[in-house]
Amino acid sequence: VIDAARKATVKDRGQIIAEPYGRALRAHLARPDEITLQEAQDIGRRASATGLSVSEMTAIHCRTLLPIVDGCPRDERPTMLAESERFLAETIAPFEMSYRGVRDANVSLGRLNAMLEDQAKQIAYVLHDEVTQILATSHLRLAEMAKRLPPPGQSEIGAVRGLLDQIEERVRGLARDLRPTILDDLGLVPALRFLAENASKRWGLSVSVAAFLDRRLPAILETVLYRVTQEALTNVGRHAGASQAQVWVMEKDGVVLCSVRDDGVGFDAAAVAGSGLRGLGLAGIEERVAQLDGTVHIAADRGRGTEIVVEIPVEPRHVDTRTAGR
Amino acid sequence: MTHAISVPVQTPTDIVTARQHGRALASMAGFSSTEATIIAAAISEVARNIVEYATSGEVAIGLTDDGLRTGVHVVARDQGPGMPDLPARTPRLVALAPGLDEFGMGLHGARALMDEFDLDSNPGRGTTVTMTKWLQ
Repeated sequence: VIDAARKATVKDRGQIIAEPYGRALRAHLARPDEITLQEAQDIGRRASATGLSVSEMTAIHCRTLLPIVDGCPRDERPTMLAESERFLAETIAPFEMSYRGVRDANVSLGRLNAMLEDQAKQIAYVLHDEVTQILATSHLRLAEMAKRLPPPGQSEIGAVRGLLDQIEERVRGLARDLRPTILDDLGLVPALRFLAENASKRWGLSVSVAAFLDRRLPAILETVLYRVTQEALTNVGRHAGASQAQVWVMEKDGVVLCSVRDDGVGFDAAAVAGSGLRGLGLAGIEERVAQLDGTVHIAADRGRGTEIVVEIPVEPRHVDTRTAGR
Repeated sequence: MTHAISVPVQTPTDIVTARQHGRALASMAGFSSTEATIIAAAISEVARNIVEYATSGEVAIGLTDDGLRTGVHVVARDQGPGMPDLPARTPRLVALAPGLDEFGMGLHGARALMDEFDLDSNPGRGTTVTMTKWLQ
């Protein structure tokens, strides 16, 4: 039944549920007890499994209830309505399970993200501070060694030191990409400027950064804005064919807005919106922003550049109250 | 913790009895009608799990407190086949993966509805679900 219903259209799905729902609700109102309430939960579970939404379910409830109200004596209506409300609550309970499940998953995802950032920070530290230290020592030792060698040996050592330089450069670049210490040490704005410089080195973009912030933002928010800008500039550099980009960030009325705009080729926003923005590297941005209850807007037009704006509340609305209370 | 009642669970009728006691106890403890419904729904899920997968077991429902709050405490126990792969140990993200069977859905649903949820299960030694909903 569930498989058939999944394939059916919303209208059909509604009808599959509406009929048993009507029967069960009438049975409940005729003789309310725990059995009829259990029946309500079973119907809700089926409805939820077939992909019906809460609003569709509520609409079915209202449509079922209307004729019942009409046929109910006026003085019995309050009791009848209270009972039908109880019945609806039972029907909604399975939807509540999925909803809370998703919310819990979102919280887990947030923790996972924080954990990954933390690990990236540790790895970056080891690479940046410890590995480069060992490389520097190797350099010195080789230089000492070279002094004691005849000229052919010296040039050999020189070649090895050249390779060490390359390793060091790679390692530093990797450490920066993993976690810029600049973000932790100096904050978001210098970190965004650093991203802008990188973009100009890598892709020849000219990137300006404007910030309207009076204070440091919460660490998690700074990290998300940094990563979003990093991802957006990478998109610009790789795909937009742009020569210029602007990054701006501002805090206003408890909300942070961050925009990355370019003068590149743009794309057909309507076409991409249908595909959920996947395939453009924007999925990561959406997920990070959704973590903090924020939204992503994309304004793009073929030939007129692209602007991506994220909007994130400084204090996220949904905190995991259950763990927070413990 | 005081277990006001223990309901033997074997048939669908027992599921109804278990949820009825849960609802009554929750209302008595001061939970709103909506919250009592949520608790009844969670009890329903763990009891259904017993009927469908273990054939028999029991659901004990009582009140508890942690010094600050009152809560409804539920222990569902069976001597069924048990599970090698515990939903409680799988990440919540996996739990939401498409194709999740009814079994997983039920216990994950109960976990989502309650404040605390613990699952102990071993193949051959049955399953025990312990869960609590606190009065906020």
